[in-house]
Amino acid sequence: MTPEERDALIEAVVGACRSIDPFTRMARAHPAWHDLDDDARQIAYERALVTRELEGALNDETSTARAVLARIG
Amino acid sequence: MTVDLDLHLPLIAAGHRDAFARWMAGAELPMRQSLRSFATRVDVESVMQEALLRTWQIAPRVELDGKPNALLRVSLRIARNLAIDEVRRTRRLCPGDEDIDASLDFAARAEPPDPMLRKWIRHCHERLPARPALALEARLDASEPDAAIAARLGMRLNTFLQNFTRARKLLIECLRARGVDIRELA
Repeated sequence: MTPEERDALIEAVVGACRSIDPFTRMARAHPAWHDLDDDARQIAYERALVTRELEGALNDETSTARAVLARIG
Repeated sequence: MTVDLDLHLPLIAAGHRDAFARWMAGAELPMRQSLRSFATRVDVESVMQEALLRTWQIAPRVELDGKPNALLRVSLRIARNLAIDEVRRTRRLCPGDEDIDASLDFAARAEPPDPMLRKWIRHCHERLPARPALALEARLDASEPDAAIAARLGMRLNTFLQNFTRARKLLIECLRARGVDIRELA
């Protein structure tokens, strides 16, 4: 995996779009998360923390909150 | 200064979605921070979304106990239990239980929005180049997969993700130049 490919996978995991398991009705792990090693998973976590802080300041709602509100309906 | 997010609880329990959105605005950061020890073992984002959804469902049954942030403390335990279930399901090594009641500590981290921080973030956001700004905004609506957003914006997927990375990096640099270290806040 090239550094660019690895970074793209990390950034994919940072996003809040998650599919819903049709049987359990629970949010599934992002497919790219399974392809990351521990260091990359930690980076994705830290980036998500910062990203949600920025999103919240810009829009009041983060992408995580929007995903949850969409499920509430 | 800790804020008591339970001020939103009566309306949340009555089914007001907007009140829950306001509660999430204060609760999300401490919840996510509380899951740091699970970051290499579970996809924290999916655990967060599931925990928040269950918090909404359980809110009408949560009783105040005289301490601040009763709902947040419940949600922190939900998040932790979901993460542990996921670790067990995938047979990964479970983090120690030394922080089993860390919910009290994290519940105290709920803070009111900092108007100065918001002002600087908006200031820096207005100075982003067009394509990174577009990528940042487009991804806020979490219902659309990255590939679909990239196609809608006329970008290749990798280019879209690189623009998103660049937007965040430029925002952090701009904030740092103004004395705000967002990484320290997070």
